[in-house]
Amino acid sequence: MRLRACYRLGPDLRFLSNLDTMHLLERALRRADLPYALSQGFNPHIRLSMGTVLPVGLWSEAEYFDLELAEEIPLREFIQRLNAVLPPDLYVRQAVEIGSDTPALMNSVNAAAYTLVLDETDFPAAEFFAGLLVEQHLIVKSRGKKKDLDKDLRSGIYRIDIEEQRPGWTSTLWVAAGEPLNVRYDELVDLLEARGLARKRIKDVYRQGNYIYRAPVFASPIEKVK
Amino acid sequence: MKDKLFRDILPRVAKPARYSGGEYNMIKKDWNLSRTCMVLAFPDVYEVGMSHLGSRILYGLVNEKSEHLVERTFAPWPDMESLMRAENIPLYSLESFRPLADFEVIGFSMQYELSISNVLNMLSLGQVPLWSGERRDEHPLIIAGGPVAFNPEPMAEFFDLFIIGDGEEVLLELLDAVEQTRGIQRSERLLRMAAIEGVYVPSLYQVTYNESGSVDRRIALHPPAPERIRKRVVKDLDQAYFPNQPLVPHLGIIHDRAVLEVMRGCQRGCRFCQAGMVYRPVRERSPGLLKDQARRQLHSTGYDELSLASLSTLDYSAVLSLVKDLVAENRAKGVGVALPSLRVDAFSVDLANEVQKVRKTTLTLAPEAGSQRLRDIINKNVSEEQLYEAVEAAFRSGWLSLKLYFMYGLPTETEEDLLAIPDILQKVQAIGNRLARRPVEIRASLACFVPKAHTPFQWQGQDSIEVLDEKRRLISKKRRKNIKISFHDSRVSFLEGVIARGDRRLARVIHRAWEKGCKFDGWSEYFNFERWMEAFAEFGVAPESYTADRSYGDKLPWDFIDIGVSKEFLYEENEKALMGELSWDCRETGCNECGICPALGVALDIKGEESCV
Repeated sequence: MRLRACYRLGPDLRFLSNLDTMHLLERALRRADLPYALSQGFNPHIRLSMGTVLPVGLWSEAEYFDLELAEEIPLREFIQRLNAVLPPDLYVRQAVEIGSDTPALMNSVNAAAYTLVLDETDFPAAEFFAGLLVEQHLIVKSRGKKKDLDKDLRSGIYRIDIEEQRPGWTSTLWVAAGEPLNVRYDELVDLLEARGLARKRIKDVYRQGNYIYRAPVFASPIEKVK
Repeated sequence: MKDKLFRDILPRVAKPARYSGGEYNMIKKDWNLSRTCMVLAFPDVYEVGMSHLGSRILYGLVNEKSEHLVERTFAPWPDMESLMRAENIPLYSLESFRPLADFEVIGFSMQYELSISNVLNMLSLGQVPLWSGERRDEHPLIIAGGPVAFNPEPMAEFFDLFIIGDGEEVLLELLDAVEQTRGIQRSERLLRMAAIEGVYVPSLYQVTYNESGSVDRRIALHPPAPERIRKRVVKDLDQAYFPNQPLVPHLGIIHDRAVLEVMRGCQRGCRFCQAGMVYRPVRERSPGLLKDQARRQLHSTGYDELSLASLSTLDYSAVLSLVKDLVAENRAKGVGVALPSLRVDAFSVDLANEVQKVRKTTLTLAPEAGSQRLRDIINKNVSEEQLYEAVEAAFRSGWLSLKLYFMYGLPTETEEDLLAIPDILQKVQAIGNRLARRPVEIRASLACFVPKAHTPFQWQGQDSIEVLDEKRRLISKKRRKNIKISFHDSRVSFLEGVIARGDRRLARVIHRAWEKGCKFDGWSEYFNFERWMEAFAEFGVAPESYTADRSYGDKLPWDFIDIGVSKEFLYEENEKALMGELSWDCRETGCNECGICPALGVALDIKGEESCV
């Protein structure tokens, strides 16, 4: 049985690396004594595959993993048993069974949404973010593989939502992930800073979710397989 | 504090999960409902401190078995330290994010001599006065335990008290006393705590030194202070506390696995080994209890590996059946068993094959000295035949890489003894290339011999840096292809040796070295020998006087610490060493009269049903 699960990784765990989170999930699966499937060979490991990497320092409302089980188990029971042994700030929200032919998360997620929380009312957030979308090019120094080369993020910024809070604003940026253009969140923050939004005014940043984007629809990796 | 850390500070440092707490199985007690609040401070980085078994035991013991509270803190890596200093953030605990100065007791685990610079740095980051004499009633009590405390004298002026021996025997008693003496003047409090067996309060004594450097007189300033401090021992490991729900760190640490302590102590009697002397007698834990602890610990942690820890696990009387049972029980779940150290014999290699679940990567053996003559002197009861048998067994069963541990700078060592090391390596390589399916890789790690307090070699001199470097060059000349030899830094070993057999006159030097920026001295990227030498020079203290040989008539700075093993036994062992005479393990050939059993009212405690020798 193969399943896909969506989990929330809360602010207390934001400093975990992707590998740390993977080990945490593997240990939780063993603590829960769930019937995980093991790979063959001398060094058997749990057949768990993680979604796109969540940058160290960010928490997330919706991350995903795929897992193979050696036995059928009701999804509700899977979620309950796993959540019972996860740390307080991590829980599985939802799980669905997926077919063996479902493409891996890594190969299908192509968009992500990052939410910035600004606590200042006097910042002209609506104009600031609208100003981004009218540009033809938005150039930053790459923080990824081609370090320090110029990188144009514009075509990878699909949508920006702005919501007024009291006090302040939240703004959610829907951007490209993976190939061909990967908009990193640290590059986004560099871009915003270069255009006048000082880093220290951002009170919080988190990933709202990962998506499989086919214009104009952002589908979550779970909606997509339902 | 936590908000500021998470928002402004931790995003700017490497490996922020070192400083964010919240690990699985963390115990966060109610501060106001706890009788006393202590923080366990480990003077090294998180990944090292979290791997330390003793700290895991004390953390669980206090939090689970008493109404006291204990939290944790570690030495921040220099990037974090400079941010903390710039932003005026005091060193804090990972459970409640409280500054160290809020705790009533700060307990340092002293595993390594050179950690002392980190202790001072952590106290300064915790905004606690460094000298015990400068601390007032409102300041925390600064205490220490661990192997380094068996010669507490170089650190005597920084700590209010030391716990000598098995900490789990003393700590709850001490915390009770802390609570009962609250509100009383600090010096009076300490005097009362000194009445607890195994507790040493250095400020209750005055020490004077002879011109030659040896101890002249030790005077107890307050009459009830005991003349000798006897170590505490857990008599029955089955009755001792052991954590079934240890913390599971989020980031990878050095020993990232479940751990069982199969026994404490080792009676092989290697004459250089401090742990082998100070942790006598051998006390085993019953196999049945160990299997139960394994089940519980794996269930509560979800680890995929279980390690059998002790000073010499292959000497555990029921090691074979225990390993087989544990492997059988856990294999289907993908959980493996690990042996941290091997004996140099074929049986050990067979057992390693039993547990090896991954590809056969590197096998490690420790013959310690190159020649039979020198192995006899250090009482490492391993013959060259045993070594080659072990090596053959390893290569026949598929290992392709072998690591061997040696020491150099040993007493009476000659050129011949040194050249025997590369000879052995070449023979081992030849065996490998004959038996393995492709060319084998041989690695050797050479540590400098450092004479330690409470060992038969405590009277021996330590080779100077120049001599050690000369010996290194001699061995290096015989290097061969596919044999890699690495040498410990002789300057680090020199400083270890100074502190290991040091006395109170070193305190000013240590303090000055810290002022000059010394910290993380066990890490080659931070070790700064010149600064240390400047600190010695400023106070006119000759470090070589501490590494020189001592005479039998000398009063040694650590003589007042009673480890149960008699000084006469250490003396006889040193004499036997110089004549090349062996001493056997008393489990096999009867009592050697080391004195531990009558002195402490203990006995060898062998729990396994079988013998596997």
